[in-house]
Amino acid sequence: MKGNTGKVVNIDMTNGSVRIETLPEEYYKQYIGGSGLAAKIFWERGRFDIDPLAPEAMLIFMNGPFAGLKVSGASRNSVAGCSPLTGHWGDSSSGGYFAPELRYAGYDGLIITGKASKPSYLLIKDDAIQILDACEYWGKGTEEVTTALKIKYGKDHRTLTIGPAAENLVKYTIILNDGHHATGRAGFGAIMGSKNLKAIVIKASKKDMAYADKEHFETYRKELNSRIVEALPASVLHEDGTAANLGGGVASGDVPVKNWQSNFWEESSDALAGSTLSELYLTKRTACAFCGIACKRVVEVKEGPFAIPEGPGPEYETMVAFGTLIGSIDLAATCKAGRVCNELGMDTISAGGTIAWAMEAFEKGDLTLADTDGIALKWGDLETVINVILPKIAKREGKLGQLLADGSVAAAKKIGKGLEYTVHSKGLEAPMHDPRGGGHGLALTYAMSPRGACHVADPMLFIEMGARYYPEIGFDYITGNDPQSDENKPEATVVAVTFGALENCACWCQFADVLTIPDWLNLFNDVAGYDWNTEKMLMAGRRVFYLKRLINYRYGLTAKDDSLTPRMLEPARDGAPEGIVMNFEGMKSRFYGLMGFDPIKAIPTKEKLLEYGMAEEAKKVW
Amino acid sequence: MKYWKDEAEAVKAFVSLWEACGKDQELIDGMKKVNQLIWFDYTESGPNCSFNVDSRDGKFIVAGGKPAGEPNLIMSLTADNAHLSWANKLNPVMAITRGQIKVKGSATGLLKLAPKLKKVALIYEQVLKDLGMEDKLKM
Repeated sequence: MKGNTGKVVNIDMTNGSVRIETLPEEYYKQYIGGSGLAAKIFWERGRFDIDPLAPEAMLIFMNGPFAGLKVSGASRNSVAGCSPLTGHWGDSSSGGYFAPELRYAGYDGLIITGKASKPSYLLIKDDAIQILDACEYWGKGTEEVTTALKIKYGKDHRTLTIGPAAENLVKYTIILNDGHHATGRAGFGAIMGSKNLKAIVIKASKKDMAYADKEHFETYRKELNSRIVEALPASVLHEDGTAANLGGGVASGDVPVKNWQSNFWEESSDALAGSTLSELYLTKRTACAFCGIACKRVVEVKEGPFAIPEGPGPEYETMVAFGTLIGSIDLAATCKAGRVCNELGMDTISAGGTIAWAMEAFEKGDLTLADTDGIALKWGDLETVINVILPKIAKREGKLGQLLADGSVAAAKKIGKGLEYTVHSKGLEAPMHDPRGGGHGLALTYAMSPRGACHVADPMLFIEMGARYYPEIGFDYITGNDPQSDENKPEATVVAVTFGALENCACWCQFADVLTIPDWLNLFNDVAGYDWNTEKMLMAGRRVFYLKRLINYRYGLTAKDDSLTPRMLEPARDGAPEGIVMNFEGMKSRFYGLMGFDPIKAIPTKEKLLEYGMAEEAKKVW
Repeated sequence: MKYWKDEAEAVKAFVSLWEACGKDQELIDGMKKVNQLIWFDYTESGPNCSFNVDSRDGKFIVAGGKPAGEPNLIMSLTADNAHLSWANKLNPVMAITRGQIKVKGSATGLLKLAPKLKKVALIYEQVLKDLGMEDKLKM
C-alpha cells in the first residue's frame, strides 16, 4: 500500500493485548482515511447499544493518507467514535505532530477499547507497544504531564495527554498534542479518561513513507507548498492568527454576543482582534508539522489579574467563546481562560457555550443561587469564570460543577428550563460563527453535520465568503450570493459536504486548502495510488457523508434531529442581519431532495446507497 | 476597458473617490489604523493607470501613479474590476481567490478596512455622479 501504511493497532486496555491488523485496501479507496476510515471501522465493529464511556466503547485515532508528507496543512489526524457529549457519531481533528509520528512508526491508526485497572499510558516505539503505569500523572494538568513525559523520553517524542476534567468524565474534554494542539470537540478526552488512559507517547525510528509516484509528487509538492503559503489566507493567518478577520465577522454579524442574544458588539472588533493579540501579547508564531503558514500563537500576559507565563495562545474560537459570547471583550482574560481550559483539558467552545447558557439562565431566574453553590453568574465576570467556574466543572464539584459538566443541553434538561436558548445542533454546542450573520448556508451545514453544529466539517464558511469554487464540476461563486439568504445554499451544501468529507478524511487543514480538483487528484493518486478520477473521488466523499448519517440513524437520529434551536433561528436583534428571517426548513427540504434522503429517516434511500456501492450498509437500515 | 474610455478617466474617478473618503472621519480613522502605503495597481489597463494611498504615521495622502517609496501592499487588478470592486459589485474574497485581484504584501491591515467598503461604495456612487459619470453604475 502507498501513502497509507495499511496497518492499524488494536489495543485492549482491559487485558493489555496489542494486535496489529492490516485493513482491506478497499476500505481506503471507499472511505479515504481519517474520519471516513474511522467511520467504516466503527460501522463494522462499533457497539450502538452501550454508553460511550463504557469499557467496550471504541476510541479511534486515524490518520489520512497524507500524514507525514512535507506539505503545509497535511499532517492533521482524526479521533472518532461515539461522542460522550452527544451520544451519537462524533469525530474531531487536530493539527500538531502526532499524525506524522504515527505514520513513520508504521501505522494509520489506533483502535482502543477496554479499561485499564489503573491509570496507564501507551508508549509506542515502532512495533514495540507498551501499556505503562501512569499513577504518577493522574490528577495532573496537561502542561505538567506533557513536560514530565518529554523530560522522561525526550522532546522528540510526541505526546497526547488528557487533563483532570477528562479523568472526571466531563463530557466536553480534549486530547492535547504536545501541550498545544487540541482534538477539541465532541468529548473524546473523556473516553480516554474512562479507559484510565492518561497519555500516549510515540516515537518512530525513521521518517520515511511510500509513495505511488514519488518523482511526480516531489515536483508537484514544491509548487503546491509555494501556492499554499503565498495565498492570502496564509499571510493573514501567519501575521495575526485565526482571529485576524474578527472585525469582518463583527461587521457581518457572524460573531455571537451574550449567548447569541446579539450579533453586534462594535468595540470587540479592535479589542479581540488578532492584530491586537499580536501587538499586546504575542511572543512567537509556531506551526504544525511541516506547515509554512504558522498560524499558532504563543503569548504571555505579563501583569494584571489575567497574567500568564509564555505558552499557547488562544485561537479565534477561544477568544469569542470566552469573550463576547459571555459578555467580555477583555483579551487578556481570553488568553488565561484558554490556558486554563487547556490545562484542565476542556473544549473552549463547549465550555464557553455552556457557561454562556448558564449566565443567561441565571439572568432569567431559571438558575438561582441555590443551583450554583451561591455563585452569581454574571456576564463578563471572567475572574469568576476562570478562578471558580472552570475548576468546579473540571472537578464536577458541587451543584454547579455537576450541572455544567455534561454540557448545555443536559444542563437545560436537568433543570427543566432553558432548552429554547441553548445553542447547538445534535447536542454539540455551536462554534463561534452565527449563521444568521455569517451565512444561511452555514446554518444548513450546522444542522446536517453528522457530529452536530460544526464549522470545520465542511468549507461552507469559505464558500459563502467566495473563497472556494470548483469550476471543473460547474460549481462557481454562488450566483446572486448574499450570505444572509437561502438562495442556492442547498446546492452549495451538497458541494460543501462532499469536499468537507475529502478534507476531513485526508486530514487536510482548511487553512491550507487552496486545492483545486486536479490538486486533490494529484495528491490521492501520486501519494496513495487511489487511481481516482473526479467522479470516483467525489463519490468517495459523498459515501463518507452518507455512512456517518447511517451511523447516526442506528443511534436513533432522524430528520427531526437535523435542526437548530429556536435561539439560532430567531431573527437577529441587531447588527447586519437584524430582522432577517431564515428559510431553514425550505433549505433543509431542498437539500434532502438533492442528496436523495428519505424525508423521515434522513438517510439516503436504498437506491441511492446501492448507487454508491453500499449494499451491505443498506441491508442494515432498509 | 468596458467601463472607462481611457486610463486617465479611471484614475480621475478613483483619486476623486479617495479624496472624498478623506473627508469622512470614520474612514480616515480606519485607514490610519491600516497604517500602510498601498499601491492600487491597475497598470494592466494602461501604463499610467494606478494611484496610491499613504496612511502611514497618521497621514492620509492620495496621489495618482506608483508611489515613490516601497509600498507595504500592492493590489493589482484591472480598472474595470476596480470599478466593480468600489461599486460593491465584486466580492473581493472571490476575486482574490480567482486571481482577479492579486495581493502582494501584508493584507492584514486591509482586513480592518474591508468592513467599511459598503460605505466606500456609497461615496463612490456620489463621486461618479459629481463627475458626471453615473452612467457607469448602470452598465
